[in-house]
Amino acid sequence: MQRTRQVRWFAVGEPLSPRARSVLTLAAFLLPLAVWCLISYVPFVWHPLVQVVDAGDTRAPGQYSYLAEGQLVDREVFAQRNLELAAAGAELAQGFRSNPIYLPAPHEVATAFVTAFTTAPSRHGDVWLHESLWHSCQIIFWGFVYAALLGVPLGIACGCSSFFSRLCEPFVDFIRYMPAPVFGALAVAIFGLGDEPKVSIIFIGTFFQMVLIVANTTRLVDMALLEAAQTLGARPHQLVTRVVVPSILPNLYRDMRILIGWAWTYLVVAELIGEKSGISAFIYQQQRYRHFDNVYASIIMIGLIGLVADQCLAQLGRVLFPWESGALWLTRLRSRMAAGAQRFRSGLRPRGLHLSASPSKATEGIGSKVA
Amino acid sequence: MLDALPDYRDPPPDARAHLEQLRQRDTVLRLEDVSRVFTCAEGPLTALEGVRFEVRHREFICVIGASGCGKSTLIRILAGLDAPSSGQVLLDDQPVDLPGADRGMVFQRYTLFPWLTVRDNVTFGLRLKGASAAQVAREADHWLEVIGLGAFADRYPAQLSGGMKQRVAIARALANRPRILLMDEPFGALDAQTRSQMQTHLLDIWHATDVTVFFITHDLDEAVYLADRVVVLAARPGRVEEIIEVPLGRPRNPRSRLDPYFLAARQRLEQLIHP
Repeated sequence: MQRTRQVRWFAVGEPLSPRARSVLTLAAFLLPLAVWCLISYVPFVWHPLVQVVDAGDTRAPGQYSYLAEGQLVDREVFAQRNLELAAAGAELAQGFRSNPIYLPAPHEVATAFVTAFTTAPSRHGDVWLHESLWHSCQIIFWGFVYAALLGVPLGIACGCSSFFSRLCEPFVDFIRYMPAPVFGALAVAIFGLGDEPKVSIIFIGTFFQMVLIVANTTRLVDMALLEAAQTLGARPHQLVTRVVVPSILPNLYRDMRILIGWAWTYLVVAELIGEKSGISAFIYQQQRYRHFDNVYASIIMIGLIGLVADQCLAQLGRVLFPWESGALWLTRLRSRMAAGAQRFRSGLRPRGLHLSASPSKATEGIGSKVA
Repeated sequence: MLDALPDYRDPPPDARAHLEQLRQRDTVLRLEDVSRVFTCAEGPLTALEGVRFEVRHREFICVIGASGCGKSTLIRILAGLDAPSSGQVLLDDQPVDLPGADRGMVFQRYTLFPWLTVRDNVTFGLRLKGASAAQVAREADHWLEVIGLGAFADRYPAQLSGGMKQRVAIARALANRPRILLMDEPFGALDAQTRSQMQTHLLDIWHATDVTVFFITHDLDEAVYLADRVVVLAARPGRVEEIIEVPLGRPRNPRSRLDPYFLAARQRLEQLIHP
């Protein structure tokens, strides 16, 4: 009889089954949503305010006579007004308990998620939401690409050689402690009002971290591999290109994924300097109109873009680095194509040439004998 | 029973002929009073002192010694990964300075490149030299056949057993056609059974190629089974205590381990290492 072992949810250092992992991943999102629903839909959990539907007899005098239809007031104020109205013998005010405006219910945010995209910009010359999002992605992309183009080579140089490490890292470390937003005014002064200052803030926010992180990743290269490569005849530049770079590539990729997260952090600051733009400008505007459902919707959008992009990169990484992930289909495809190309080439060439250059016959068959 | 063992210095005729023939050969590697002093916090530490011997062409030489006798320092100096404090190492009468493709090395730790397949690991040295694609493919097929891992050509090192990894490491070093193959306790991390299979396998590969092997071990049986001569290092400071000619002919096979001359040589090494 097969013995099925009970899932031990809290066991230390024991992996969970794939099913248990999916359940927990789902729960990670559903639990906060459930709390939000609870607060929004179940009355008396919180609901500290009253949404006034009918102000009653507004002519009745009193300290709280300002109460009007559509207002969102404290429960205390509402109760006091009704006491005043009752004392005056007037018609009572009507209302229902409500949460503050900054906490819209899930369905309102869900609706806003759709309508935010379908609503035309309110002012002439403003952009649609999807255009704002696309603009934000471009700022991130270019800021990050410029940072990586300079930061990765510099980081690898620092990791490989003490010379570059001593020359660069102290200064980079110094600048790293300066928050990127403080360069905002400077960036606008230098680059003007366009996208350049925004890209430069993303650059400053990620570049200096990147140099240090890449340098540290590079230092983790197994010295034994470098020594092995030297005994195989690798020259110094080949050590870098043939050993250091391929060996750190998976970790480098992981570093880049983390640093893209940093770039999103600086995006909000970058977009609010100079001429406001992108998703942050949209959030800023909606917050001023007190459309908090739109604010939540756009915050969730940023989260979703980040999550989806990171998951895509993670899956891409599995394919790119099969020796770490064990996802071998690309390797098999490549070797099959190489074998095909080999067959094609040897088919073109005269056969005698191929045979005459083959290695010494004396060694053939030994491996099979012993294996 | 041990008294009944023959004298290891008086080998049987086939072994005598083999050793005689060996003495006629050219010297490949010459160690001239190699010393290495490390500067430690507690003061200078002499790892090697005046090590002097020669290795002949196609010879299989083993170096044994207790741990801390400078075996690894010695082989690292030969590889060019470390430099002697005094004295010099000559390969074909040329002083050894930096690491180079003429001295292939197999390490105790697995040092295959994890991002390369078995095939690409084997041809790493060739590709460094810029060999043509056709030559690289040909050499890869050849060496994969020699080590019997043709079916594993497209596997990554992480998918191989310890013994397989070391076979690939041997092929990787030999594909460069080095003058000498340096092996630093290559089978030290393997289990006993795999280890003895690998020893026989290594002898087969050695017979099939014309490479000289310089093999470091602390396993007496391994040294006697593999070597033509065994260099015994004494510890603190590391120096040559004695060089023993193994009184066994070639080729050898696992039954050689039961040969009285095998046991005699082994007993002598035992006396030297654990007096």
